[in-house]
Amino acid sequence: MQAGGLPDTKQVSTDPLSNEVSATALGEASVDAPKRAQALLRTIEPYLYLLPALLLVGGLLLYSVAHTFAISFTDWDLITPPSFVGLQNYIDAIRDPTFTRSFSNTLIWTGGSLLLPVAGGLLLAVVLERIPGQRVLKTLIYLPAILSTTVVAAIWSYVYTNNGVLNETLRWVGLDALARPWLVFAPTNTLAMIVAASWRALGPSMVLFLVGLQTIPPELIEAAKIDGAGERILFWRIKLPLLRPITAIVVIMSVIGSFMTFDLVWVMTQGGPGRSSETLAVTMYRQAFIMWRMGYAGAVAVILSTIVIAFSIFYLRATLKRSAL
Amino acid sequence: MIQRLSKGKRSLDRYIVLGLLCVFAMAWVTPLAIVALSSMKTPREQSQSGILALPENAAMIFDNISSASELAGIGNGIVSSLIYAFVGSATAVVAASSAAYSIAMLKIRFPFFWFLIIYSGTIFPFQMYLMPLFGLYQSVGLYDTRIGMLLFYSAIAVPFCIFVFRNYFIGMQGEVIEAASLDGASSFQTYLRIVLPMAKAPALFLFVTQFSWIWNDFLFGQVLAKSDDVRPVMTSLAMLSGTYGKGSIPQQMAGALTASIPTLILFFALQKHFMQGIILNTAGE
Repeated sequence: MQAGGLPDTKQVSTDPLSNEVSATALGEASVDAPKRAQALLRTIEPYLYLLPALLLVGGLLLYSVAHTFAISFTDWDLITPPSFVGLQNYIDAIRDPTFTRSFSNTLIWTGGSLLLPVAGGLLLAVVLERIPGQRVLKTLIYLPAILSTTVVAAIWSYVYTNNGVLNETLRWVGLDALARPWLVFAPTNTLAMIVAASWRALGPSMVLFLVGLQTIPPELIEAAKIDGAGERILFWRIKLPLLRPITAIVVIMSVIGSFMTFDLVWVMTQGGPGRSSETLAVTMYRQAFIMWRMGYAGAVAVILSTIVIAFSIFYLRATLKRSAL
Repeated sequence: MIQRLSKGKRSLDRYIVLGLLCVFAMAWVTPLAIVALSSMKTPREQSQSGILALPENAAMIFDNISSASELAGIGNGIVSSLIYAFVGSATAVVAASSAAYSIAMLKIRFPFFWFLIIYSGTIFPFQMYLMPLFGLYQSVGLYDTRIGMLLFYSAIAVPFCIFVFRNYFIGMQGEVIEAASLDGASSFQTYLRIVLPMAKAPALFLFVTQFSWIWNDFLFGQVLAKSDDVRPVMTSLAMLSGTYGKGSIPQQMAGALTASIPTLILFFALQKHFMQGIILNTAGE
């Protein structure tokens, strides 16, 4: 059963989808050399398809992960050869007040992102669900999510500068007292940047919750309404519990995203002034590429990864369960 | 009677909610309007006129774009990023689809193990990649080269692509086996003539999402490139913007606007794929 008109030397070897062929070929007692080579090719061939992906991911990404892990136990400035220092970098990090501040800033990011884009997205989804003209409103709210974080950072830097959009608007409506340098003092600078990040993150979480709401059987809602359930009961007792799988995914994603916050902070404040708005990812970058303390930076990266991977495992369990259904 | 009354009240409530939502949505996109307006002003005009005042001469935007380009290489960045985004995502789609084909449809040992190895590239924070890549690129001469950037962008896009392709291929396994056995095609012919054409939808979706990811990247451009010719567009834009940026506000806004055009076009052309994208991205369906 060969395909007609397609000259291909490997053709005999190739029905990959039936194992019988290869099994008999391998099991044959008297195999001559070309046949053996063919059999070998037949077993190897499927692996060749893996090769480009494996080389790219293994050679660049997984190699880097292993190397960063190794670097974290050394003292290395990129010029003199690294020397092994055991857990010293981890101990230094935990004792370093700038690391502690960076860690607590990262926690503020996590909390703020749960409050604004996640809870806000849920609220918007529930309200938008039954509104005519949903599509247009949805698109408008989603729009900032298309922009790069760098673009968002550029826009909001302008919003927050001294004579920027926010202060001018506050003065214009007579709230002069509220106008201030938004990116200078902690924790205002971190909170201001969380608002900027939420501008971008709200749309996607809203869309996910809308998808979740669509999966709730309408009969269930109707039945509850007939039983006299008001909007509030409907939300707390029916919608929210049924949204749990999607809520889990949005929450975990938001936590992972918060822990990896880098671009926005780097472009807007570079973690400053006086390192007051650093997040863990910014601390890592600064230690590695400004101060050339590779070992310390490696330790920060490993600590960050441990937290992110712990949450990713929850995430994978939630998504793999979903896709298995 | 009572029912009708409450119904009337409910629809009034609904209009109030709708009104509030419209105000909210308008406020939400106001920053975008401000970007567009400021990018058409001279620095002097921008500091003196109101934020929402119309520009005196809209053609000023071209001056701002070209001076932003001179200052930070935005124009070069756009060319580089277009290459990275097109070639990088296409490479990733090809590499990932062939690997997923092998994992889902061919006879290999431990298919799930191979899948996990490749997919594990999505789990780590990017901070785990920075130092070794920088060191490696320095020592093999890939630092600050377009080839180096392309290799990295292809690699970073592969894990998510393989996740989507594998799911998709497992779903269409039966049909392909049937078609291939009727045809008696070789595994490569099956991949090229049956599997790939059937996987057009996920391939297009992945190409679009990875294209915009690569286009939007700032961090790796910052670490792996430095010259105007190699630096991707977002890294160039970052040089203009923020507290430490060196551009005037109209230049920054013109740069931000220009750098967003490709992804905005993609979004409006393929809105469905984008929305589907975040669902796939997160729900993994």
